Amino acid sequence: MTVREVLEKIGAEVLCDAGADRPVKGAVVGDLLSFVMGNASEGAVWVTVVAHANVAAVAVLKDMPCILIAADREAAPDFIERCRREEIAVGRSPRSPFDLCGALWELGLRGEG
Amino acid sequence: MKDPVVLDFPVEGEDFLAAGEASSSVKDTLKMLGVPSSICRRAAIITYEAEMNLVIHAGGGMLRARIDEEKVVLVTEDQGPGIADIDQAMREGYSTASDQVREMGFGAGMGLPNIKRNADRLDIESTVGQGTILTASIYFVGEPQPSA
Repeated sequence: MTVREVLEKIGAEVLCDAGADRPVKGAVVGDLLSFVMGNASEGAVWVTVVAHANVAAVAVLKDMPCILIAADREAAPDFIERCRREEIAVGRSPRSPFDLCGALWELGLRGEG
Repeated sequence: MKDPVVLDFPVEGEDFLAAGEASSSVKDTLKMLGVPSSICRRAAIITYEAEMNLVIHAGGGMLRARIDEEKVVLVTEDQGPGIADIDQAMREGYSTASDQVREMGFGAGMGLPNIKRNADRLDIESTVGQGTILTASIYFVGEPQPSA
């Protein structure tokens, strides 16, 4: 499944579609950057409520192709710009992190590898 | 690779926007040199956490990556407040970050533990009131690899 397909299937608003044809291999949820840094696997969609430039930096370093912003939280323009430059897709949804994880689980995505 | 590749990055204190640039650059350089991607990722995690420590705690400092045929050595040096109790600082969940920094998603108390988990060797020298030197090495072959 590609990032684009995942964002479409869960009905997320697409804020940046750079790199959206990359494959999705799993998912991770969390707002503590070091926690995600330590636990995310390559190719994961990252569900979070924080959206600033450092979130993009962590996604780059962990080879995550997509950041999914939950609860319609605001995304800073410099965050979107950084994601576009680094080819990380960004989606946003009014749903809670919990519900978004449920939707991703139903698509067959898991937290492990 | 005959001569080692050395990359130096000055890191500004409190500059959250530029933070992550040194780690991206180290990762890209390692990739370009043909280093396996699992090692690139480990080096990137160490560099990022060390870089963020300079930004959050030390008022800035210097970050150096030295890459030769056997290993990558990442060193940060600062003139910050120093670490009074290194064992305590190594404990997962312990953090002295401000509330403002925590609201940005930092200060989980996992920075140094993440560095340790991803390094084959880690040395921290710190003097309160004078600063800290952190040296983390990853060996490409020949050293036991941590599971992370």
